[in-house]
Amino acid sequence: MEKILIIEDDPAIREELALLLENEGYAPLPVTDFTDVPTQAADARPDLVLLDIGLPGRDGFSLCAALRKVTPAPVIFVTSRDSGLDEVRALSLGGDDYITKPYSIPVLLARIKAVLRRRGGGSEPADTLEAGGLRLSLTKGTVSANGRTAQLTRNEHQILACLMERAGKIVSRADLVETLWDSQIYIDDNTLSVNMTRLRGKLAELGLAGAIKTRRGMGYQL
Amino acid sequence: MTFREFLSDRLGRVALLLLCLLLGGAFLLATGTQPGVLALLGIPLLLVFLGVQTADFLRQRNRLRELEAVLEGLDQKYLFAECAPAPGDLYERRLFDLCRRAGRAMAGAVSDARASQGEYREYVERWVHEVKTPVTAARLICRELDGETRRKLLAELSQIEAHIERALFYARAQSPERDCLLRQVDLGEIAARAIETHRSLLIQQGVRVETQGLDRPVYTDEKWAAFLLGQLLQNSARYRREEPVITLTARPLGKQTQLIIRDNGMGIPAWELSRVFDRGFTGSNGRTRGSSTGMGLYLCKKLAGFLELGLSIASEEGEGTTVTLTFPSREDLTEL
Repeated sequence: MEKILIIEDDPAIREELALLLENEGYAPLPVTDFTDVPTQAADARPDLVLLDIGLPGRDGFSLCAALRKVTPAPVIFVTSRDSGLDEVRALSLGGDDYITKPYSIPVLLARIKAVLRRRGGGSEPADTLEAGGLRLSLTKGTVSANGRTAQLTRNEHQILACLMERAGKIVSRADLVETLWDSQIYIDDNTLSVNMTRLRGKLAELGLAGAIKTRRGMGYQL
Repeated sequence: MTFREFLSDRLGRVALLLLCLLLGGAFLLATGTQPGVLALLGIPLLLVFLGVQTADFLRQRNRLRELEAVLEGLDQKYLFAECAPAPGDLYERRLFDLCRRAGRAMAGAVSDARASQGEYREYVERWVHEVKTPVTAARLICRELDGETRRKLLAELSQIEAHIERALFYARAQSPERDCLLRQVDLGEIAARAIETHRSLLIQQGVRVETQGLDRPVYTDEKWAAFLLGQLLQNSARYRREEPVITLTARPLGKQTQLIIRDNGMGIPAWELSRVFDRGFTGSNGRTRGSSTGMGLYLCKKLAGFLELGLSIASEEGEGTTVTLTFPSREDLTEL
């Protein structure tokens, strides 16, 4: 489990962030005493550091430089200061990424995952997803079942991936739309219906006509 | 100053002189002076008077021209009295003294106003950073709620964020050079950032966003450009009709790059189109819907001017609105 050091002085954010990261399968290490953060970081040996800039005592910029000396862990700045100059300064001081508050949670998690992967700490994302007798290739954008393969469009691919990741659970239409927007597919409810119909058509050709079930008033389920 | 103006200004003096000459002449005639002698006395007197007035006129005119040239050359015109060439006569010296004292009081007032504006800007920026912390915490806390409530709350939080952002950029627009960082950015990244910021509003309004050819570099400040685009997206989402679609299309225009933002919304009546960038202008759409501040497009225009972005709008009522952003080429960009 990857350890993530949280250096954030606002208690509400610190606690909620720790909870969120725990739920996502990381080991959060929230810092509550800001007197000697570098030593704490050296002792904790984190895999990643989330660093606020406006901290009591010492600001995040100088802290970043100090952290760089004691730990090889990548540093992500998470701050409400959003001027371009701050960002350049943060990155030139050895920060690996710069996220501005208020951030959306999926974005934050995606950036954490990306930085960990870049540092070789995180696991490579699996190339294939398997669920309900379906096999989805994430790089090729194809789905196969019963020895047959179908090519999917980007939208269909994302819809199916989302359902497969939560196989067995009901995924509401609104959640599906949200997930698609996360992947920069900006569709509306009607377009979702159209894509869903096409996707079902393709799955039917693979011999899995009823694979995606509609739960009236609730959403879809694989 | 023309000679006629000068004369009319001195009408009293001229009239008095003529009256004196007439009375004097009449008196001399009555006491037996010959008309020839009278003419010999009167004509030179008149000529001397005219000569003095003409010389006065020329001197004053030249002096005024000189002062006007000085004023033209000044960036801060209120420093005029400090920079003008020293006056010759006593009366003018006194006048200048008065002007200088007034000017100093004015300069003091201006610098006080500047300082307090700067302080206010700093306060707004600090306030914005502070208020973002609880909003972030609220976003994190929302995560624990069930689907529908969470979505509604997130949408409200996004609205708060949009207002905060506008306040921040409004403060920044007063002295934009302080935060501006021009560099090469992918247009797609700017669009993704703007859409992400306003996704709650866009999804809630059932908007579909289509993008075409956005993977090209532009030279601009990413944050400002994203803010600007965000204002346009918000407008498109607010003034939508059925099945709203926003298309973002990029195309090269010589060395420049154009980003075209087209929606199929309500559109803007032709007679309002020229005023949409005015500060505080709310069109008929804004008034019927309420909640329009007339600030969004005004800020866009201001920031676009600073980023050297071309910003133009076209619209047909009931059909939709098209906004075109023209990003300058690298060479065209004046160094900041």
